[in-house]
Amino acid sequence: MADPLIARLKQLIVDTLRLEDVAPADIPDAEPLIGGGLSLDSIDALELVVRLEKEFGIKIASSEEARRALASVAALAAYVRERGDPARLPT
Amino acid sequence: MADPAASVQVAACGCITPFGDAAATYAALLRGECALRPVAVLGRDGGDEVPLALIPGRSLDETAPPEWLAAVRRLSESIPGGDWGSPGRPVFVTGSNFGVGGLYALRRTGDSSFAAWGAFPTCTERLRAELGWGPDVSIVSHACVSAHLGLLLASRLIWAGVADQALVLSFDFLSPFVAGGFHALKILNSAFPAPYRERESGAIGLGDGAGFAVLARGRGDWTLAGQGLYNEMHHFTANRGDGSGFSQCLAGATAAAQGRRVWFKGHGTGTLDAGRLEVAAAQGAFPGAPIVGWKGSLGHTLGSCGLVELAIAIESVRGGRTPGTAGAGGRAMGESVALESFDNGAFDAVVCASNAFGGAHAAFLLCHA
Repeated sequence: MADPLIARLKQLIVDTLRLEDVAPADIPDAEPLIGGGLSLDSIDALELVVRLEKEFGIKIASSEEARRALASVAALAAYVRERGDPARLPT
Repeated sequence: MADPAASVQVAACGCITPFGDAAATYAALLRGECALRPVAVLGRDGGDEVPLALIPGRSLDETAPPEWLAAVRRLSESIPGGDWGSPGRPVFVTGSNFGVGGLYALRRTGDSSFAAWGAFPTCTERLRAELGWGPDVSIVSHACVSAHLGLLLASRLIWAGVADQALVLSFDFLSPFVAGGFHALKILNSAFPAPYRERESGAIGLGDGAGFAVLARGRGDWTLAGQGLYNEMHHFTANRGDGSGFSQCLAGATAAAQGRRVWFKGHGTGTLDAGRLEVAAAQGAFPGAPIVGWKGSLGHTLGSCGLVELAIAIESVRGGRTPGTAGAGGRAMGESVALESFDNGAFDAVVCASNAFGGAHAAFLLCHA
C-alpha cells in the first residue's frame, strides 16, 4: 500500500506548481526534485517551501535546509515526518 | 574603443549608513563594529527576528512620508554644486525598491498616502521636488547593481559630451515588504551573515543605505576605470554554476589594472554558492589580491551598495587601511579573503564589484586620477 504522506506530497507538488503534464504517480520517490526530471528550479522551490510550511506546520530555516529537504520526495517525506505537526500528517 | 570612464572623474562621493557618513562608517568597520541587530522581519506585525541594520531612530515599518527621507535629505546636504537636473547636469536616481514597501503598507492599512511613495516614478518625483532638482532626472533600477549602472550611464554622458557633470544618487531603505521577501527566500534568516566563510548554511543581513557620486570631466581625485556590467541571462535567482558571470564582469577592471597592485572589494552577502563563485573569480582574475566584504556589518544595502561601498573604499584609500571582511566566524572560502584589516599603502587601486539577482554583475577599478 502506498505511503499516504508520499502520495500527499506528490499531489501537493503537482497542485502547487501546476504541473499540467505530470501525474502524481509519475514522480519517482528518489529522483532529485530540483534539477531533476521535473525541471523544477529555485522559484518552484520557494513556492513549495511556502506551501509545505503552511500545510504541515514546519519551519525551514535556510535555503540550504530547503535544498536538503527537497532532495527527493522520499527525503521530503522523511523531513516532514521529523519536523511536521503530527496532527497534520496524513494517515 | 577608448575606456569611456578614463576622462571622467569622481569629483565628490559620500554615503550614509546606520553608522553615519562615510568617515564614521569607515571608522566603525575598522573597529570591527556590527550595525546589524535582530529585528522582527515584518515590523510591528512580528515574525522571525532577522539581522537588519536600520538608520538609528527609524523603525522598519513604513511611514508616509517615509522616515528615511530625512536621511536622504541629510546626505544631499553634502552634495556639492547646484542646479542638478538642469541641462548639462543630469541626475541618475538608482536603487532597487524606491519605497515599494509603501504599497504593502497601503494594503495593510488602507491609508492612500502610502501610495505616493510606493512606485518608482512617484517616489522619484517627490524626491526631486524635495531636493530642488530640475527635470533632467532618470531612474535606474537593476537590482543590486543599480548604482553601478547609474555610474556607467553618467560616465558615458560625460564622455560623449552631453553633460559636464552628473549626479548619481542611490538609496535603499528597508521595509517589511523587502525584508519579508528575502525571508521568504530563506536567505534572510535568524543567523547573522558571514560573507566568504564556509558554513553549513548561508545567511544574509539587510541594511539601510544611500550614497552619491558627482562625476565630472577632468575634475576630481578618482577615476572609475574599466567599468563593466554583465548579465548571465541564465536564471532569475541562480548564477551559472561555472561562475562565468562573475569572471566576465571583471574583464574591464582586469585590463585597467595591468601593472597595478590591487585589493578587491567584493559583494559578499553571506550566501554560500555566490560567495564561493565570487571568491574563485576574484582569485583567478587578481591572484594574491586581498578580498574584503563589509556586508557582514552593514548588511546588504541592495541597489545602493555599489555607491555606499565606493564611498567606504575611498575612505579606506585615504585612511591607508582597509577594513577586513566583516561578519560572524567560519573558515574563509579562499586564501585571499582578508578577515583582518590591513595597511593598503602598497596598493595602487581597488576593484569594486557587485552582483545581483538575475545573474547581473558589475565591477570597476577605483584609482587615483
